[in-house]
Amino acid sequence: MTDLGTIVASPLEEVAPPRGQHGAAAWFLWIARRLGLAVLTLWLVSILVFLATAALGDPIRAILGRDYNANPGRVAELEKLLNADASIFSRYFDWLGGLLTGDLGTSLASGRPVSELISGPVQNSAMLVFLAAIVMIPVSFLIAMISVHYRRRRPDTVIQTVLLAIAGLPEFVIGVLLLALLATTVFKVFPAVTISSPTGHPWDNWKVMVLPTLTLVLWVSPYVSRIVRASLLEVIDSEYVELARLKGIPEGVVMRKHALLNAIVPGIQVIALQLAFLAGGVVVVETLFSYPGIGLQLVDSVRNHDVQVVQALSMIIASVYVVVNLIADLLSILLTPRARTAISS
Amino acid sequence: MTADQSHEHEHVSLSGEEAPPPPPIAPAEPGTFKKALRQKRFTVGLGITVLLVAFVIFAPYLAPYGENEVAGPPYNKATGLFGTDYLGQDVLSRVMHGGGEILLIALLGTLLGMVLGIAIGVVAAYGGGWWDEVLMRLNDVILSFPQILLALVVLTALQRPSAWVLIVLVGVSHAPRVARLARGVALGIVTRDFVIAAEALGERRSRVILAEVLPNMNAPLLAEGGLRLTYSIGLVGALGFLGFSADPGAANWGQMIQENRLGLATQPWAVLAPVLIIAIFAIGTNLMADGIAQVAQRGDN
Amino acid sequence: MLIHGATGGSSKDTLDPHAPVTAADIARVNNLYEPLLFWNNNYELEPALAESVEGSEDAKTWTIKMRAGVTFHNGKTVTADDAWKSIQRVANPDAPLSAGGQLSTILDFGACKVVDDTTLQLVLKAPYAILDSLLAEYTLGIIPGGEFDPANPVGTGAFAYKSFEPGKTSTFTKYADYWGDAAFVDELQIQDFSDDSARVNALQAGQIQTVDNLPYNLVDTIKGAGGGTLITDTGAWVPFTMRVDQAPFNDVKVRQAFRLIVDRQQMIDQALSGYGSLGNDMYAPFDVAYAADLPQREQDIDQAKALLKEAGQEGLQVELFTGDDIGSVATAAANLFKEQAKAAGVDVKVTKKTPFYDDQYLQYTFAQDFWNTRNYIPQAVVGTFPPDQGGTYNETHWDNADHRDLVNAAAQELDDTKRAELLHQAQEIEYNEGGLIIWGFRQQVDGYGPNVNGLEGSKYLPLGSYKFNKVSVQ
Repeated sequence: MTDLGTIVASPLEEVAPPRGQHGAAAWFLWIARRLGLAVLTLWLVSILVFLATAALGDPIRAILGRDYNANPGRVAELEKLLNADASIFSRYFDWLGGLLTGDLGTSLASGRPVSELISGPVQNSAMLVFLAAIVMIPVSFLIAMISVHYRRRRPDTVIQTVLLAIAGLPEFVIGVLLLALLATTVFKVFPAVTISSPTGHPWDNWKVMVLPTLTLVLWVSPYVSRIVRASLLEVIDSEYVELARLKGIPEGVVMRKHALLNAIVPGIQVIALQLAFLAGGVVVVETLFSYPGIGLQLVDSVRNHDVQVVQALSMIIASVYVVVNLIADLLSILLTPRARTAISS
Repeated sequence: MTADQSHEHEHVSLSGEEAPPPPPIAPAEPGTFKKALRQKRFTVGLGITVLLVAFVIFAPYLAPYGENEVAGPPYNKATGLFGTDYLGQDVLSRVMHGGGEILLIALLGTLLGMVLGIAIGVVAAYGGGWWDEVLMRLNDVILSFPQILLALVVLTALQRPSAWVLIVLVGVSHAPRVARLARGVALGIVTRDFVIAAEALGERRSRVILAEVLPNMNAPLLAEGGLRLTYSIGLVGALGFLGFSADPGAANWGQMIQENRLGLATQPWAVLAPVLIIAIFAIGTNLMADGIAQVAQRGDN
Repeated sequence: MLIHGATGGSSKDTLDPHAPVTAADIARVNNLYEPLLFWNNNYELEPALAESVEGSEDAKTWTIKMRAGVTFHNGKTVTADDAWKSIQRVANPDAPLSAGGQLSTILDFGACKVVDDTTLQLVLKAPYAILDSLLAEYTLGIIPGGEFDPANPVGTGAFAYKSFEPGKTSTFTKYADYWGDAAFVDELQIQDFSDDSARVNALQAGQIQTVDNLPYNLVDTIKGAGGGTLITDTGAWVPFTMRVDQAPFNDVKVRQAFRLIVDRQQMIDQALSGYGSLGNDMYAPFDVAYAADLPQREQDIDQAKALLKEAGQEGLQVELFTGDDIGSVATAAANLFKEQAKAAGVDVKVTKKTPFYDDQYLQYTFAQDFWNTRNYIPQAVVGTFPPDQGGTYNETHWDNADHRDLVNAAAQELDDTKRAELLHQAQEIEYNEGGLIIWGFRQQVDGYGPNVNGLEGSKYLPLGSYKFNKVSVQ
């Protein structure tokens, strides 16, 4: 779920700049503290993930389903794999140890290594989010700039109203409407579902990618665009830009050179966090289009109580969130002179 | 930058036409609602929402068929206004019956999320120090876990999603997001003169929070509440779409999408009707939230 | 190349010949491995890897003659020893696999012997007249030495293993030395689909050639798009199960009332879109002994109300458990039943469980289940006997000694007429007192693309029992 409440948290809010230090030392301290907090968060996340997935029901029953009672032979085989006798602590530390050494364990449902099982879905989802990003970023900025160009006049109002309306829509609503419009009912232009060949990637057929990407773009860009517009307006109304205007610099140059550059910082944060959200937000979109990414894999694994796979995917999604957060913080500090001086002065 | 500036930023982002430099926080003013009423988008949003709630409450009495009544063959376009669904039930009647659960869970879930979030945020801000550090760290943990993922795991573990489970889930997943905002707003207020004065007079902390801090936070939180409601509708709908809803036979907009997805090509209305009504609902609450946000951001002027 | 789109494949897929889990597994197992006998398209036994299976006069000793010149995919000749070891793997008394439940209790393991390379003698602890039908299940494929190697599965089927990715796809190549009709296509690919809309779309787009278990309400869509549908009568059913040992269903009047509440034709029209035939609360419609002469039960709300009143159960409230893992028909039928029961003043609360088949399965007071085509005796054993006598799926906790004696007597009876008489009596007991509501038998509806030839419907399994060697693609 996209989320304004969290996206624009200031990087400096959590970590106050160290005072009384200078230059590189202050920088180092700030980064170290920030990294430490990220690691701490991830560690707590790992506990949450482990406990939540441990509460999932008996995986062997989920796998054998109806045949559980009739098939004691297979039950015994699976129980051996599960190692269910160990205490929850030792299982947690085994798992954490594996995680740290890059060993994600073995999927109980399929008997294959988790890393092998999820590498395809991870790539597919990454591709989907990447495509959504490279469409969403320029589109959002473009809309924001057009809107600002007509600020407080009719086109601006119309654009803002439309964006506001779309911004309220859940992803499955956007997806279903696009499906009906472009795949099944009105125009039958794009495939409604992803059918990947066993050897290739889903994106081998570009048409398959259009609807999932478009859904994500429509879901996310209204937010980004509105935030970029707001920061652009803020900058444009500031004395500093006013000064540039008074100096006789043409409006277009003012916009490009001054306003846009200053609006990029909040833009980067918003975009980064939207991308982090998409890592989890793809669940519904992938289900809707049967796109073979982590979302679809997650739904399948949760249904099968395939604990190892659910754990691995949850950790990946949480890590993406934490890491992207970190990078966004770093970038915006590097790009904001005010914050730079706050840290190193 | 201080914490309060960070969500003030958020409100800038939410704002529409005019964005004058806002005051650091929106202090309490009794007329939030009145001011909001002067906003066109708020009135439109409120109008849509009120109409929809009225529809949800009264439509079941007006529906041509019962909730589970068989009206014709499955996926038949000729029956009724919107045809029949996967089981031959009348789609129009199902839409008319199907708003109760989603509305109730979204509303109560949002309410719970707001209460929990404000409590956490205010305690963190007012307690400061370790309280703040620990609460906000735990907050971050839940934040890095997407709402839908949390819901998926919990609902599967519980096996039988009842309406209460869904409400708690929606509430808990909103709480950390609300807490962040509440903490920021509260931080701005607890340093103000009247709070300090109250403390100096020897009032108990809990009383100070209840009597002085909370009433002073209402405008931005109201805006947040509206936004959360929009997300709740999306979340409950998405869960229904993924097959998690309290009653498998009941008409329920989210679940209707899941039930009839296969028929999208054959009988599009069975899917489009519930999708469109969810869309209208979400747009209504979002407009309303944005209207309040503008008022909150402009503050006293 | 032929690409088959399978339902419900997932990461729990396996190639184990004796423990298939998903519908995708069943399709694979039927092409890789073969049992000693086949159920043909008309649900009759015919020889497969065994040329003959003959019982002695007393039905206690069975002699199996292996077909000559059959080879495994690795080139080795199939021997009676392979067959015996495969049976032992399945019927291991300590841990039987799905096909072995009944076998493990009746085989006298010490007395069975491999006579020579082509002859196997099975000796039973007690007479069992229909042992041959147990050997025809697709879950009893013969593998070399009875050992399954997941890395390189070897069978005798018309297709040999090439690759396998659980939950995604698997490929098989034509086995040139196949003993029967060699396949028309050189390669078979079985593609997993997690949901039906993807499969239907793929079929329409020509990306796959065959699909099994089409959703009933999409049959017209497929036909309209130029594809073919294969519609076959089956003995498959999705019953409501009432526990006869628990209130309110421990009163036979309540059970009979519930059976009278069901509007069977509406169930078929709505939940199966008309693709089904009426059920009469008895299973195994293809069994020669099926009691077709008992009067067809129909909805009778008045009588149901009267029975409930007699039982002191007016205004009864019950919880009906269902789940997506039973199949899409189940939830639909449950919702219909809820509405039908209202007329009789019964308040049904439908609860959907995910998964339905968890540790509560077989404990539910009122629930559903699914069954495929089977004959009466094996079905009665697994479905109505106590667990220690082979009733691994006794959902209704039915425990009726008279009924059981009749079934056991029939199992030992070699005379067809006498056996049919015994079974008729057994069915009558269930018809009058049983805990199952069998409202209908669904038809099997499969789909195929316009370029596909050679498919014939089978009463046993979907898509002509998945015999893809008979299929050609233009």
